[in-house]
Amino acid sequence: MDLKSYLDLYALLQQGRSSREERRAFGLSEAAKGKEAHKQLYAWVQTHQGSLPRPQASQQIESALYHATLLLGAIAFILGIVTAAGLLNYSGKAPVNLVYFLGVAVLLPLATMLLSFIAMLRANQVRNFLVHISPAYWLTRVVSLFNPKGGVSLASVPLNPLILNWIIIQRSQLLALLFALGILLGLLGVVATRDIAFAWSTTLQIDAAQFHAFVETLAFPWKAWLPSAVPSLSLVEQSHYFRLGGKLSEEMVSHAAILGAWWKFLSMATFVYAVVLRFGMYLLASWGLSRAICRSMPAFEGADVLLRDMNEPLITTHPNEAPPTSSVQEERHYKRMQERVAASYDAVVGWAFDETTLHALCDAFSVTAPYCLEAGGNQSLEEDARTLERLEGEVLLFVKAWEPPTMDFSDFLEAAARRASKIVVAAVGTPKEGYLPNPRHKAVWAKRLTLLDHSNVWMFR
Amino acid sequence: MSSIDYPRFAVVGHPNKGKSSIVASLAMDDAIAISDTPGTTTHKACYPLRVDGKTLYELIDTPGFQRARQVLAWLKRHETDASRRHEAVRAFVDAHREDERFHDEIELLEPIMEGAGIIYVVDGSKPYGEEYEAEMEILRWTGQPSMALINRIDEADYTQEWKQALSGYFQMIRTYDPMHATLSQHLKILESMAQLREEWTPKVKASIVLFERYHAMMRERSAAAIAKLLNRALSHVERLVLKEDEEVEDAKKRLASRYKQRLRSFEVETQKRIEYIWNHQHLKKQQENLRLEVLDLFSKESASVFGLTRKELLVTGASSGAVTGAGIDLVFAGHTLFAGGIIGAVVGGVGAYLAFNELADIEVLGKKIGRRSLQMGPMQNRNFPYILLGRALFHTMQVAQLSHAVRKSVNFEMDENFRQKWLTDARRKQLEKYHKQFRQAKQIEEKTLAEYEALILEILDGLLGYEK
Repeated sequence: MDLKSYLDLYALLQQGRSSREERRAFGLSEAAKGKEAHKQLYAWVQTHQGSLPRPQASQQIESALYHATLLLGAIAFILGIVTAAGLLNYSGKAPVNLVYFLGVAVLLPLATMLLSFIAMLRANQVRNFLVHISPAYWLTRVVSLFNPKGGVSLASVPLNPLILNWIIIQRSQLLALLFALGILLGLLGVVATRDIAFAWSTTLQIDAAQFHAFVETLAFPWKAWLPSAVPSLSLVEQSHYFRLGGKLSEEMVSHAAILGAWWKFLSMATFVYAVVLRFGMYLLASWGLSRAICRSMPAFEGADVLLRDMNEPLITTHPNEAPPTSSVQEERHYKRMQERVAASYDAVVGWAFDETTLHALCDAFSVTAPYCLEAGGNQSLEEDARTLERLEGEVLLFVKAWEPPTMDFSDFLEAAARRASKIVVAAVGTPKEGYLPNPRHKAVWAKRLTLLDHSNVWMFR
Repeated sequence: MSSIDYPRFAVVGHPNKGKSSIVASLAMDDAIAISDTPGTTTHKACYPLRVDGKTLYELIDTPGFQRARQVLAWLKRHETDASRRHEAVRAFVDAHREDERFHDEIELLEPIMEGAGIIYVVDGSKPYGEEYEAEMEILRWTGQPSMALINRIDEADYTQEWKQALSGYFQMIRTYDPMHATLSQHLKILESMAQLREEWTPKVKASIVLFERYHAMMRERSAAAIAKLLNRALSHVERLVLKEDEEVEDAKKRLASRYKQRLRSFEVETQKRIEYIWNHQHLKKQQENLRLEVLDLFSKESASVFGLTRKELLVTGASSGAVTGAGIDLVFAGHTLFAGGIIGAVVGGVGAYLAFNELADIEVLGKKIGRRSLQMGPMQNRNFPYILLGRALFHTMQVAQLSHAVRKSVNFEMDENFRQKWLTDARRKQLEKYHKQFRQAKQIEEKTLAEYEALILEILDGLLGYEK
C-alpha cells in the first residue's frame, strides 16, 4: 500500500466515472471477492488507474515529494559531513574530545528516535507538535517549489492528517539517516586523511573505570564479533584528558600513537546507533505509513459507497431504456363552450350510460328529446351504428366525466359530428356527486375535444 | 415461445386508472411518467427486478385500452372454438401489429401473448361501468393468469361494486394504494403475484426476500450517510486568511457566512444522497432551510500560521532557534558551551511571539509565508448536532415512506413533536459520546464511526417501524 495508490484512489473517486454495475461486477470478481476493505480498494485502484488523465496527479505529487526529499536529503547528508568535520576539528595542540562526537552520533539520535517514537504513537492527532517541529515538516512546504506550473499540489489533496503525519515522520527518519551517513562518512574521511588523537574529557566526576563501563555498554551490540572496536580500560585511562594550563600531560604525549584507536569504536557507535537503529526507525515509519494508508483509504469521501456498491447485491428495477411518452400537451381552453343546456334537443345520447341513468340525467337537466339513445358501454358496434343513423339536428351527448375519453369515443364523436348539425358534450359527475363533474375531469374532456377540434362540437361548461 | 425464464406481469387497464402509478410503486422508480392526462403512456415499458444482473421478474407498464369494443368484435368474428380463443387474440395481434388504430391494444396484448401474467388495474373510487366488460373479456380470451388490483385514486369507495364485477373475470382481486403503500403491502402484492402461476412462485418469493434485504440496505446506507454528515458538520473547520488591513469584524462576518453555507451544503448533499439511495432522484420538495442564525457558532478565533496557535508557534520558534544555535555550537566544536543553542532558542521563541501579528509582512521567495487568519469550527454548539440529526432523520423517514408514484411537490414540514419520537435522555447520552469525538476534529476510527452508524440505524429503524 503506497501513497500513489492512495492518491489515485482519491482521483478515481473524484472522477466518479464508474457505474454501480461496474462496481458490483468488480466486487464479484476474483480481484476483490472476500477481501478486506483496503485490499478491495487497492485492487480497484490497480484496475482503474489507467483511466486517470495523464499526467496523473499522484505522479506529479510523488515526483515533487521525491525531489523535495532529495534536496533536503542532500542538505542533511552534507550537514552530516560538515558536522563530523566540525566535531573532529583537530589542531594538533589538543586531542579531539570524543564526548562531543558521542553526543551527536549516539545520544542525539537516541533522543530524536525517542521523540519520533512518541510522534508515531501520537500520529493520530491532527495537531502533533512533535510532527510540526520536525525538519521534514518543511518538506510539505518545499514540495510546492517542485510542482510544475498548473500541476497538482499536495495541498490540493485532502490528505488525511494521519497520513500527513506519517509522511513527515517517515521522511524525518530518512533525513536523519542521511545526516547520520554523512557523519559516518565524515568520520571515516577525517580518520583516513588525518592523524587524530582522541581523548575524553568531562567536567563531571567520572573516572576511567566508569567511562569504560559506559563505552562497553555502548559497544555491547558488536562486542562479541568485533572486539577490536571496543576500547580497553587502559585506552580509556590513557585517553583521559584534563585541559589545564593548555598543556598535555607527558604520559598522554608518550601514548599519542594509540589514542587514534578510538576511531573504530566511534565508527561502530555511529553505524549502530545513528545508522542501523535509524534505518530500523525508517522501516517502522514506512510500515506505519503503509498502515495509515490502509486505514485511511476507506475513510475517503465516497470510498464507503464504493465498498458498499462492490459488496452489496445490486438490485435494480429500472428499465434498460427510458420509455417514450406523449409530448406534454399545451394547456388550452376549449373554444366552443356552451353556458347552459337547452330545454330540448333532437336527440339525447348517453355514452356508456344505461337507459335508466340516461332518463335520470334528462330529468336532472330538464331536457326533452324525441330520442334517448345509448352508445358505447356494452353496446355492440352495430348498435352504435344504429344510434348514429338516428342522429340529426342538435344532439346532447352525456359522457361520464370521470372516465377519460378513449379513441372508441373519439371514433363515435367523429361519426356523430358528420351527421348532426351541433353536438353538445356534457360531462357529468357520478350520481353521488349529484352529477356535478370534477373540474379536473372536465379539463381532461376539454383537452380531448380541443384535439379533435370539430366545428360543430360544443362543450357544456 | 420466448426464451424468457422469469415471470412477467403486464399492468393493463382503462386509461388513467393508475397503471403507471402502480408500476412506479412496485418498481420503486420515480422516473416513470405519471400524469392526470390520459394517454401519457404511449408504449409498453419493462421494469425488470434484477439482482446482480439476473432478472427475477418483470413488470410491464402499458398504455390503456382505447378501442376495446372493436377488438372484441374482431375476436368474436374470428373465433373458431371457445377453447382456442387465445389463438384469436394472437391472430389479432399478428394482424394489427402495424395498424396505428390499434397501437395501444397491440402494446398491451403483445407481452400478454408472450406469456406475461395480467395485473388489471381499476379505480375503486369511481363506479363500475359496462364499458369495462369488453376489456375484461379480451383479457379473459388471452387465457393468461390474471389478478385485478383495485386502486382508489380518490376518496369515494366503490370497492364492493368492483369486486363483484371483477370476480367473474379474474383469479384474485386485491386492493392497493400506490400513493401510500407500505413495504408490507408491497410484499403482499408480490405474494399474490407469486400465486398466479405455480412455476413463478419460487422467483417471485425470492424477490420478496430481496426486497426486504433491499430495504434494509437502503436503511443502512441512509444511516451511514447521516453518520458521515454529523461527523463532517461537527468536525468542519473553516479558515479565512485575512486580507491586508482587513477589519477582523468584517472578516468574521464573511467567515461566519461561509461556514454556515458550508454546513448547509453538507446537509443538502446528504439529502440528495439519501434521495438517491431511496430512488427518489426526481423528488420535488418544500422544506425549511437549516437555520443557524440563532446559534453561536464561533468557537475559536485565533490567528494561525500553518495551523499553529500562538503557543505552538512560540515553542516551534524556540526549537528552530535552538537548532540553529546548536549548529553554531557544532561548528565551534562545543567551545561555545551550548550558548548558541540557548540564545537561539530564546531569540527564536521571542521572535516568533513578537512577529505573530506581523507575519503578513514576512516574505520568502517573493511569497508571504505567514498570514493572519481566522478560524471557525469545529462546531462547539451542543445543540447543533441534535438539530442536524433530527432534520436528517426526519428527511430520511419522509423519503423512505414516500411512494415512488408521487409526482407532486411534497412538503417536508417537521412538526415539533418529532424530536420526542427519537431523542430520549438515554439516547442523547449515547449520541453525545460520539458527537464529542467529532467535535475534536481528529481522525475518527472506522470502528467508532461504525458504532455511530449502528446507533443511527437503530433510531431510523425505530422511526420506520422496523424495530427488532
